[in-house]
Formats: sequence, C-alpha cells, structure tokens
Amino acid sequence: MARDLAGALKHAPLRAPAPLFERPRAAGGIFDSQRGFMRALGGLVVVLVAVLPFLDASPYTISIATSALIYVMLCMGLNVVVGYAGLLDLGYIAFFAVGAYVSGIFTTVLGFPMWLALPATIAACIIAGIIIGAPTLRLRSDYLAIVTLGFGEIIRITANNLDITGGPSGIHGIPTWEFLGWSFADGFTIAGLEFPERVVFYYFVALVVIVVGVIGAGRLGKGKLGRAWKAVRDDEDAAEAMGINTYIAKISAYIIGAVWAGMAGQLMATHLSAISPNSFQFLYSALILMAVVLGGMGSTPGVIIGALFVSLAPELLRDFAEWRYLIFGILLVVVMLFRPAGLWPATAVLPWLKKRRPTPPPFTAAVGAYEPNEPAVEPSVMESVDGLPATDAEEGRRA
Amino acid sequence: MSALLEVTDLRLQFGGVKAVDGLSFEVREGEILAVIGPNGAGKTSAFNCISGFYLPTSGSVVFRGMHIVREVPRIWHTLRLVQLLQRFGFYRVLPSRVTKWGMARTFQNLRLFRELSVLDNVKTAMHANLREGFWSTLLHTPGYRRAEAACAREAQGWLDFVGFEDDEELYVTQLPYGEQRRVEIARALATSPKLLLLDEPAAGLNFSEKQSLVRLIRKVRDLGVAVVLIEHDMGMVMELAERIVVLNYGKEIADGTPAEIKANPVVIEAYLGVDDDTEPIDDTRLRSAAVSAAAIAEALVDAGESSRGNGGDER
Repeated sequence: MARDLAGALKHAPLRAPAPLFERPRAAGGIFDSQRGFMRALGGLVVVLVAVLPFLDASPYTISIATSALIYVMLCMGLNVVVGYAGLLDLGYIAFFAVGAYVSGIFTTVLGFPMWLALPATIAACIIAGIIIGAPTLRLRSDYLAIVTLGFGEIIRITANNLDITGGPSGIHGIPTWEFLGWSFADGFTIAGLEFPERVVFYYFVALVVIVVGVIGAGRLGKGKLGRAWKAVRDDEDAAEAMGINTYIAKISAYIIGAVWAGMAGQLMATHLSAISPNSFQFLYSALILMAVVLGGMGSTPGVIIGALFVSLAPELLRDFAEWRYLIFGILLVVVMLFRPAGLWPATAVLPWLKKRRPTPPPFTAAVGAYEPNEPAVEPSVMESVDGLPATDAEEGRRA
Repeated sequence: MSALLEVTDLRLQFGGVKAVDGLSFEVREGEILAVIGPNGAGKTSAFNCISGFYLPTSGSVVFRGMHIVREVPRIWHTLRLVQLLQRFGFYRVLPSRVTKWGMARTFQNLRLFRELSVLDNVKTAMHANLREGFWSTLLHTPGYRRAEAACAREAQGWLDFVGFEDDEELYVTQLPYGEQRRVEIARALATSPKLLLLDEPAAGLNFSEKQSLVRLIRKVRDLGVAVVLIEHDMGMVMELAERIVVLNYGKEIADGTPAEIKANPVVIEAYLGVDDDTEPIDDTRLRSAAVSAAAIAEALVDAGESSRGNGGDER
C-alpha cells in the first residue's frame, strides 16, 4: 500500500520516514463520526426539501423556497471567499448581477436557449472575477473590503446605464430552461400530482444545482486548495513560506466564488423571469455576508442555516408588518451576542463526540521525544514559576 | 563539499538604516550553521532576504545554482518603477518559489495556522507536492483519494519524526508552546527542503525541551538537510553548530568553528562592549549575554526557592 501511495505525490528530494505506528482507522457510522452524521443529516435535509412541493405547492411557498435555495448557493460561494480564504468582499452581489445579466442578455437579446447561456455565464464570471480580483487582491483586509464595495457599485451603475441591459427597468421575459423542444413552462405530472406552474418544476432544477454547488464547495474546502485558502486566511506570510503562491490561491478563491454567484444569478434570472439593477444593491451584498458570518464562517452547515435564516426570516415575520425588519435586526444582535462564532462554527464538534479522545499512541522512543531519565528541572519549581497551580508535593510542603 | 547557499555582499536598507550591510557567507550541504549576533544585528532581516520575503537593496543570493535576487535592468531604476514591478512579481522570486526550490523556514514568533488542526498544518506544507486538481477534488477521483492518503501518511511521518505525541486532530492553539514549536518544524520539513532556516527555535523552551530540540536538529541534519539557525542561547549554539557566523550592525564580524568564535576578541567585544579598565569579567552568568541553558536552570531553581519561601511566609 505504501508503494502505491508514493506515486501519488510529486517527486520531492526529501520524503518523511514512515510513521512510527499506524493510526487507527477513523470511526464510521452515523452517530460515531462527525462525517457520517453530517452526511446523514445532509441527505435528510435534501429529502425534506424535495418533498416540500408535495405538501404545499402554492406558488407563494414554492417561490420563497426557490429564493431561499438560491440564497444558499450564493452564500456557499461567498463562504469560499470570506470563510475559507478570509477575503472580506463587500461587493459580492456584483457577480450575482453578472450571472443574471449575461444569461438574460443571451436568452432575450441574442435568443440562445438557457442551457447554452450557462457556459457563457461561467466564462463571464471567471473574467469578472479576474478583472476585479487581479488588481485588488494585493491589498489586505480593510482596503480590499472598500475596493470590492466600489466594484459592486460600478457593476450595478453600469447595468443601470447601458442599453443592452435595459437601463433602470432591466430585462423582461427571460425564458425558462428547455431541452429538445420540451420546456419547463409546460405542465408536468409526478406520482399522480400535477404541477401546472413552471415555478414548481423549476424548484427541482434549483434544488439539484444547489445540492451540487454545496457539495462541490465543501469538497473544494477540504482538499489541497481548501487548505491553501485557510492557510492564507490564518497567516499569509507563513502560507507563502509553505510554498503556496498566495496570490494564485486568493484569485482562485475569488474566481470560484464568482462562478458560484454567477450560477445563482442565472437561476434567479430564470426564476423571476425579470431582472433590474435594483435587485443588486449593496444591501444584498451585506445580507449575504451577514448570512455567512451569522451561520459560521467556513462551515457548510452553518452557512446553509445562515442563508435560510436571512432569506426566510423576513417572510416568516410578515405578520409583524413594518416591525419585521426591527425584529429581524434584534434577532441578529441576539444571535451574535450568544453565538459570536456563528450558529454552527466551522470548529464545532458534535456534543456527544466531544468527550471521545482518540486512543493514545503506543509509547514510542521518538527522536525528539522527552526522555524520562533526563536531568530535567524539578517540575514543581517550573510550575510555581509559571504561576500555574502547584503540584501535590509542593502543596504538602507549603502546608 | 559544495556550497548549497551562497550569499554575497547582501545589503538591505530601510531608509537610512542599514539593516544588512555587506553580508557574505555560504552554507555547505548537510552542515549545521549558526548565525548569532546581538539584538538588532540584522539576523532576521538577512533570513527574510534569503527566503525571499524582503527584497535586498543589492547583493546576490544563490541557492542550488538558482538566483533568489534578480537583477533589475537599469531602465526601471531610472524610471523609478522597480518597486511597482517587484510588487507585481516581476524581477523577484516569491518566497513560495524559494520554498519549492528546497528552502524551508520557521518564524521567530510561532506562525502556525491557528484555525487548522495539527495534521492539516503539516499537510498544508505539502501543497506543492500534491497531485490534486480542481476537477479531481470536485469529483473525488481515485487519484485524489490516493493523494490525500499519501499526504496524510507523510504528515504523520513528519509528526512522528519530530516527536509530536499529542492528538493530531487538535487545533494548534490547544497545544502547549513546546509542542507548537515541534509542529512548526514538522511543517517546515514537510515542504521537503534541502536547507532549513530556523529562526530562534529555542526561544521560550525550557531546559529539557531545548535538549530534545538539539537532538532533533542533529537528526534533521542526518537526513541530509543543511540547517541554519539563528539562536541566542550560546550553550545550545556551541553544542550544536559546526560553524558559526557572527553578525553585528548588519556586518559579518566573524566566521569559524565554535572554539574559534569563543576565543575571538571581536565577538566578545560585540557582545559585552569594551571595558575602559580592561578588567576581565568573572561573572559567568553575565558573560553569556544570551543566557545559557545552565544559567537558565540555575535561575529557575533560585526563583523557585525564593517564591516557595515567600509562599511559606504568607501562610
């Protein structure tokens, strides 16, 4: 097995000596491991979301649920930028706008079908990510936030003033997805239930895209690239010293964030069938950022919860009429007071797994390891110097 | 023995301050070299120039035949565009590239990735050696799984090598300081270096931890990795180093074996200054300006006794 693995790494002049002992295999099962539990929970949530239209297929419910799903996609993209790579982006909605406008223009003005607009959207978002990212990513935190804020506004104001984007009134009549002459706008029957409205079926399209988006972003966050992003977030100079080109790491986070937002934008354009510059105000950038921070930066379940909270809470609080945003604000403050790291922080461990420590490694005469027969300084002396509680022996002497 | 690293006439100026002023030395393959000097002598600045973090004002650094300091054409100097160009990565070698060439370093104040686990910290250092692409990560292809498994195994190997015995899944902030130092060395080794730069590796370690650090550094050298260390602990330097370079005010003032350095009057002057009466100083504890291990141990015992005595009085 070891020989197999050696080929998986690039040639390097120095290889680590084999580990002194084989690590026990990580626990599996739903309740015995964090990973198993998260997978089961994710599957359960997807099933619940998928059966929602069978319980309540009113256009209002489905419309809100679709918007919430699109928010989840958007927040997962921003999570890559802010949560993983630690780049504070206050103009993230700009990429959402690019995705929405490019797909809108391609389908209405140029008359392409929606699925052909997808590669164009992705390409446009990659280019937008590079254009905005390349000059700004040399900056650090605060400055980056201000510059991205400016770029977000530039995109919105440009859309407001160009003819091709329809000016302030935006683009109308964006068609829905269609394949081989069969459009999602037609009615559809599943398991005896008829879905006459295109919104209902569109909900499933959105669900599939979002599930792929969430899993994809989560996987990227765990691989080599994800570690590089987190390293850049924690300490940029140290990351550079570890052989990570921090500039490339940052710009790749930016591009992936842009692509996720662009796909969300395309879903949104199709969902609403009309877009206007008003949908891409700074407020929305702030809301998405808030969802990420509220849920827990860098944490997939946290970000999903945050996105659902931010998109659904104003709707659920509709009964309170004008008070709803006040209550929403108070709720946010309360959450941040009691859970400063977010509702589900990235470092969270399931409560029943907390106590479980891995089995201690067998004693090894490791190279640099402490040897007990060494003439060391008397421990009690060390501790009283450090200001730590004294040992029993010392207590006895004192008493 | 061929030279692994050649530093020639290195100069670094911050405004009017000459942090490094014409430093030249070489590191041979597989040796342990110590760089010492009083505080502010330019040791860390020189390290930062060598590893690509600072751009030296002039001079050359050649590592395994590759130039770390690039020559900038005169035209950019006259147009005053050098800094701008270098900021955007022209005419300079980024520290990440230097690391890929085989030079690893640690930092004076620990700079581990605080929100990553111990194992992930070490895995991060293997960034350049991993065969993982965007699509293989997204699709979790067999190649990706193999690369991750190999990466984890290699990281565990390095952690065992440095004698890390705690839980690898812990966050580094949960570890005691000595263990964090070990993780940092494991992380540097995981970049697969030919040359390891250690910036004050013994700072903040107790006596026994220093002893095991000395053993660890020898073991690293035995792997065929040259080690350059900046250290203030003279006891450790004299015990460990095969050659010592002494800096003062950015200049090299001496270069030789520990015995030669100990006897060198220029070095003694740099550390202790010249006494007007030229009276020999007897206090051994004072002589090692950066306190030796023995002195630390003694001081600790003294401090412990006095505090114990105070504690008794209070009751």
